[in-house]
Amino acid sequence: MKRILKIYFRLLSQNIKMLMEYRIDFLTGAFSFIIDQVVGIGFIFIIFSQIPELAGYTLDQIVFIYGFSLIPKGLDHMFTDNLWSVGYFIVQKGDFDKYLTRPINPLFHIIAEKFQIDAAGELIMGIILVCISAGSAGVVFTPLSVVLLIVAIIFASLIYTSIKLGTAALAFWIKVSGQVTQVFYMTNEFAKYPTTIYSDFIRTVITYIVPFAFTGYYPCVYLFTGENPLFNIGGVVIVSSVLMMIALTIWNRGLKAYESAGS
Amino acid sequence: MIEVEHLKKEFRKVVKEPGLKGSVKSLFKPKYETVAAVDDISFHVPKGEILGFIGPNGAGKSTVIKMLTGILTPTSGSCTINGKDPAADRKRYVKEIGVVFGQRTQLWWDLPLRETYGVLKEVYSVPDEKYQKRMELLNEVLELDDFIGSPVRTLSLGQRMRADIAASLLHSPKVLFLDEPTIGLDVVVKNNIRNAIMEINRTEKTTVILTTHDISDIELLCSRIVMVDKGHKVYDGSLDALKSKYGIMRELVFQPEIAENFSEKDFIGGLKLGGEDLTVGHENGKWRVRFNSEKIPVKDMLSYTLSHIEAKDISMREADVEEIIRRLYKEGVGV
Repeated sequence: MKRILKIYFRLLSQNIKMLMEYRIDFLTGAFSFIIDQVVGIGFIFIIFSQIPELAGYTLDQIVFIYGFSLIPKGLDHMFTDNLWSVGYFIVQKGDFDKYLTRPINPLFHIIAEKFQIDAAGELIMGIILVCISAGSAGVVFTPLSVVLLIVAIIFASLIYTSIKLGTAALAFWIKVSGQVTQVFYMTNEFAKYPTTIYSDFIRTVITYIVPFAFTGYYPCVYLFTGENPLFNIGGVVIVSSVLMMIALTIWNRGLKAYESAGS
Repeated sequence: MIEVEHLKKEFRKVVKEPGLKGSVKSLFKPKYETVAAVDDISFHVPKGEILGFIGPNGAGKSTVIKMLTGILTPTSGSCTINGKDPAADRKRYVKEIGVVFGQRTQLWWDLPLRETYGVLKEVYSVPDEKYQKRMELLNEVLELDDFIGSPVRTLSLGQRMRADIAASLLHSPKVLFLDEPTIGLDVVVKNNIRNAIMEINRTEKTTVILTTHDISDIELLCSRIVMVDKGHKVYDGSLDALKSKYGIMRELVFQPEIAENFSEKDFIGGLKLGGEDLTVGHENGKWRVRFNSEKIPVKDMLSYTLSHIEAKDISMREADVEEIIRRLYKEGVGV
């Protein structure tokens, strides 16, 4: 374990040094992210300038859900961004070979290799939105709710990771699976708003199939009302754990199916 | 040290009909075909040997190397290295081996080389003191000093290859796998790399498996060769044995002084040999006569030539390994 942490921090510090090498890339990434978020938030304000509430939620509550949903997304983005490369080129080009010739877990190796600083934008934005809207949204912070909030954030991040991992691992069979990951990942856009505004079909999909609703809306319902923690928070833990097990199973089978490439 | 028994690897391939129509068809109704890239290959390598693993492109060399290094799982058969099964015992096994794929780097593209070694030190848990000593040694044999502070992406091919080989030796592996380590390099770098391999092999008794298309690599480094073709082993033995078995071709080179009245055709016609057994070529006013010394003894060839042509600068050469291997590839001679 100590060795694993040592390797991780060694790679992490290299990543941060590398940022200095690619400053323009970093600044462009941060800038495009800010634009993206300003548009997203602006859109919420435009809607609320026309209507007083949305599906029974006030502007502050909607902003809180929006902000909250950015936190697990940002955490996952920050720490496991390299999974995208697995689906897009690492397997296809045969570069996965190198991970298999090293005496550490290849999944850990791939994840540790990239620290995505761009995600700091999502995290900071999410935290700011949550802080400014929490009071007027009716969120009461008690020791219990804070603990559950942290638990929810951790397991919600793992929902993102599992979806990326499971779909990226398909590359071991189909060679390039980045687009598959993209399709699943995009549905997280639905998680930024209350699921009650959607049709039954979409609600079922984002609750039980690609369960992004657990990365935003459901934990927020608990924070607003204190109701049904078993489903709203417990659901996050269970859904996330099941999804992670499925993703790891696909990954481990994929390792055996890996065919390498080139000479 | 290395025991390979009846190793086999099959790949399932989609058979596509040509053209866009074929591609679309195979998308909806794929037809599969099983191809054996490696079929029933067995060999043993004792500790400290440098084995040349050779064969034409697509013969299955890399597939064997990938199975031996734990990257691919064999379809059937087994390989045991140092008592370990690479595919089943991967994490413990790879600690004891070093791997270099000449065609691609295993270094971190954006990191300065020194940092790369720092990370690998942690990955292989090399103690500080040992690491210092190791780096000194590798610096010395591979001359890394000039570029150890540069990011890997800025290295030339020769530098990168030396850096890759150093990376594979950092943890003092017992077995070193080198897949085309001299591909695309100039003579100076090739020499440097060959010397490094010999030095490490001599001082540390490292077993080396080397694939290459460069015949000089084999002549200088390998005491034994295994040749594969179309997934099968076609030769296994010493280089000398191969030479004496197939090295029957000789080359007679001379400069004719008066040759107007004696053409190539007359020359061949008089000997009643042809095809592979006798060919005549010209180069810078010289004749190059390649002949099979079993069909016509060297002595007879000389006297025949001298009795028909007045020549100077006569020399006789043995066929080199390149020649032998070209013949082997062509004929697919059995063991």
